[in-house]
Order: sequence, then C-alpha cells, then structure tokens
Amino acid sequence: MVIDKGDGPAGGGAGASPAGGGLYSDQHLRVSDTEREAATGRLAEHFAAGRLDQAEFDDRVGRAMSARTRADLNGLFADLPETGSPAVPELPRGGGSTPGGGPRGPGSPIEFRLDAASGVPTYLQLVQQVEHALRLGYLTLGDQLPKVRDVVASLAINPNTVLKAYKELETKGLTAGRPGQGTFIQATLGQVALPELAGLHKSLLGWLTTAEAAGLDEDGIVALFASALRDFYKRRSGTGERRAARSGEAEGVA
Amino acid sequence: MNVNIIETSGLGKRYGSTWVLRECSLAVPAGHVAALVGPNGAGKTTLLNLAVGLAAPTAGTVTVLGGLAAGSPAALDGIAFVAQDTPLYKNLSAAGMLHLTRNLNRRFDQPYAKARLGELGIPLNRRAGKLSGGQQAQLALTLALARRPRLLVLDEPVAMLDPLARHDFMALVLTAAADDGVSVLLSSHVLAELERVADYLILLSRGRVQVAGEVDDLIASHRVLTGPAAEADRYTERPLVHARRADAQAHLLVRATADDPVPPRWEAHPVGLEELAMAYLREPGAGALPGPARPAAGTSTRQR
Repeated sequence: MVIDKGDGPAGGGAGASPAGGGLYSDQHLRVSDTEREAATGRLAEHFAAGRLDQAEFDDRVGRAMSARTRADLNGLFADLPETGSPAVPELPRGGGSTPGGGPRGPGSPIEFRLDAASGVPTYLQLVQQVEHALRLGYLTLGDQLPKVRDVVASLAINPNTVLKAYKELETKGLTAGRPGQGTFIQATLGQVALPELAGLHKSLLGWLTTAEAAGLDEDGIVALFASALRDFYKRRSGTGERRAARSGEAEGVA
Repeated sequence: MNVNIIETSGLGKRYGSTWVLRECSLAVPAGHVAALVGPNGAGKTTLLNLAVGLAAPTAGTVTVLGGLAAGSPAALDGIAFVAQDTPLYKNLSAAGMLHLTRNLNRRFDQPYAKARLGELGIPLNRRAGKLSGGQQAQLALTLALARRPRLLVLDEPVAMLDPLARHDFMALVLTAAADDGVSVLLSSHVLAELERVADYLILLSRGRVQVAGEVDDLIASHRVLTGPAAEADRYTERPLVHARRADAQAHLLVRATADDPVPPRWEAHPVGLEELAMAYLREPGAGALPGPARPAAGTSTRQR
C-alpha cells in the first residue's frame, strides 16, 4: 500500500474536488476493463485501510468487475472517503471544535520520521533531524517546524517527547517559539566552508587508506573511529561525558 | 498541573482468598501518558477497574482527578474508560452508538464525534459488528473522547489491532493528549511501542507495583554495564537489577546514573525503556520507585 503523507503543502489533496482526481463523471458512460481494474485497486486500498471487511470487499470487487456504467462504479464508493488522500488518516487540524479544520496552511518544509531500530531516543531523533535538515539546507532562517500536534498525529508519539525535542532545539539557540504560532528556525548551524570540508574529506580518505592497509575492515574502522571520537570529547570535556558523546547527545553538532 | 490524576495508597483487591493486587501505592501526576505493564495476571485490569470505579477495593484507597473518590459521580464525569476488546453493541449502527452514548452521559460532544468518524471513514449506518477491528476500536475510542474526559483509561487497547490500525488508534489518543491535555492511563503488552507513547511507566508484577516513575527519570537512573564475567559479582557500588552473563562477558543492568563511576575494564551504556522493562519483568524481586510525589505509605526503596 502506498502511504502518501504529502511531502509538502501541495501534497495530500484531502478535500480536493473530484474533478482532478480519478472519480468517474459522466455517470451513464460505459466503463472499460481498465476502469474496472482501477476501481478494484481502490477498493483494495480501502480494504487495506480497514474500511471494508473481507466479505464487503469481495462483494464490491464482484460488483466492480460486472459494472457497466460509471454510475455503477461510483455506487461502490458512495460511503467511502476518497483515496489518494493519505492512508494514514488525516487527523483533524485544530481539534474537534472546528471540524474540517481546512488545509495545513503554510506548514513546515520538513516531516519527521522515526527509526525504532536506531536505539537513539525519540526526542533526540527529532533534534538530529532538524539539525540535519539545517546542514543540508532543507530548513533555513524563518522556516517553521511542524506543529506539535501534527507530529503527534503523524508519528503517534507522546506530545511531551516533541515538546522536549523543541525545547532542546531552543536551548541550543536554533529555534524560537512564537506564542500562538509555532516554532521557527532562528539560527543556522555553523556550517564548515565548502573548501575546508573538501580538505577534511580528503585527509580522512587518506587515513582510511592507511587503516585498510593496516588490516582493518569497515566495522573495525568504524569502531576505531567511534572510540577515538569518544576519547577526544571525553578528554576535552572532562569525565562523565562518555555516554553523551557516544550517543551524540553532547552537542549533536560535532 | 500538580494534581495527581490517579493516586492509590495501600490499595489491595482480593477475590475469594486470592489477592490480585496488594499494597499498591502510586501517584501519577496529571498530563502524562502512563503505561501499565506487567505479565498476565499481574493485576493490571484489576487496578484499572478500581481506578474507574468498576470494582471496590478490599484494602486501601484510590482517588482520581486530584482527590476524587474513584467511582463517585464527579469522578465518573471526568473519566472515560475503554475496556478490553472494545465493547460495543454489535447490532447497533455507529449512529445508534452515538445516540446511546450521548443520552447516557451528562456531557457528550456530538459534533466532535461525528467529525471524527467522518475523518476516519466510518459509515454511520454500518452496524458496529460489521466494522473492521480497527474501526470498532476507533469507534469506541471516539465515543470515549467525545465525553471530553480529563482522564482516558484504556485496557489493552491495541492488543487485537494490526500495525496500521494500532498506529492510527494511538495517534488519535495522543492527539487528544496534545490538544486537550487529556491524561492517559493504558495497559499494554506491546513493550516495543511504549517508548514512543508513554512518558510514565508503572510496572506491575504478581499484584504489586514493581516500578513506577517518569520514563525520563527511569532511563536516566539506569545503566547497562558490560565487562568481564569474573568480576561481575564484585560490582556492588550500585543496586543490581538484572544480570546476564556468559563465560567471559557479563551485562549488568544497575540503578546508576551517567555520573556514577564505571569500574575499570567495564563499559556503561544507556538503556532503552523496553530493555529496562524486560529486565524488571524477569526479576520480580527487584523494584524501583523513584517517582516524584510518592505517598508516604508503602515501603519505598528509593535511592536517588
């Protein structure tokens, strides 16, 4: 199943008029096999999303395959929401008091994801993704971070986790909260100038060649580098920072 | 926000001659999503039933929403409870369930419920029993949330759901927590998902509270030490929770912070919530009750 979270404000298309989508107009027109198959595909999406049970799904697929007109096909979807909208259900913006909430508005240029297998605490993953996006230029000054409730709704995580991540970013001076509006980027990460970066990259390649020649394989190299990095920061910041340096908590920005 | 959304003191419940819950003393501050974890038969459902007033304690007391007696009309008004297996009247339509719930409750946000069901794509005219498992759970949850509770209690809410339905269900719960500040108390077997969902952990074992506290505190006060097995027994600096050892190497889960010294030749690692919960579940004798506002009753093994 396609999970389309809508990469940007333009994506998604929940609530769009059927005109642009694949809904069938001209009710009396005969339908082709292609259209029947497309309808079956959409039914499968509804089934996968749990909106149809097995019996209902089988029944409707049968009716789709024997449909003659577009009206027949449309009848199959009368009580179902439009597909093409996110498979993860659009949770209402702005709570229940304003049903239908409307579009996302200006929104954020980025969307968070979580890697449960990474072992990195959830809040830290969010922090690191913002920093990463800043380094790579996905986020710049004045950009808005996703709203807390939107992050909660899309990742199904604890709101306090998001708040903790945003607080951390604020403590680092990267973002600032504007009451009633949200959280915005107010500083970029001290990016290393490109030529310098290229130089560092080159010298690292040289070191890697030496390491390989000495008999280290990739895992050995990673372990050695991680250990040296740990020692480096440990020596610099005294004791007690071992764990922090290892998990990237020390500064997040190395 | 300093009220305790649920507070128990010496709480016990006996069925016949069997104590299913004993000397349970807890204080969960408002504004948390608290997870109640424990093996089958640990007393989770009993504790939830006591909290919502479906059962009366044999010993001790339980209050909710900042001091209201559990089961009192005022308490019932502020609590919504979804029992195990999402109880619905299977022959009623979704609309019928809405109608029924609205008329059985003092407060019911009909527009909210209708809007939510619309967004979830749940047809109002479909009989509840004909909805998919995920939809039934969502319907039950929507009915509960439309009562606009201050505390939402869920007994094994996602046990029967597939991963996608589970995600959507928890998203709805957590959005309510984010929007309206609803406190949540849920029991669960799914340890792996707790880390993202819960910020307060209560671990029950054999009818007793084994661990209770904010997840951040628990994580910060535990470490895994890895080192030579021969020296494992000599480590006594900090309380040991659980040890796993082979011939050469041993992993010790200990109650220690990042500031505690690590013996030479040993390495300290932070521990995840799942690993921590598993370790305690394997060691029913160990306990950690570092939570903040613990009531005076009960035996504290607090060491911080």
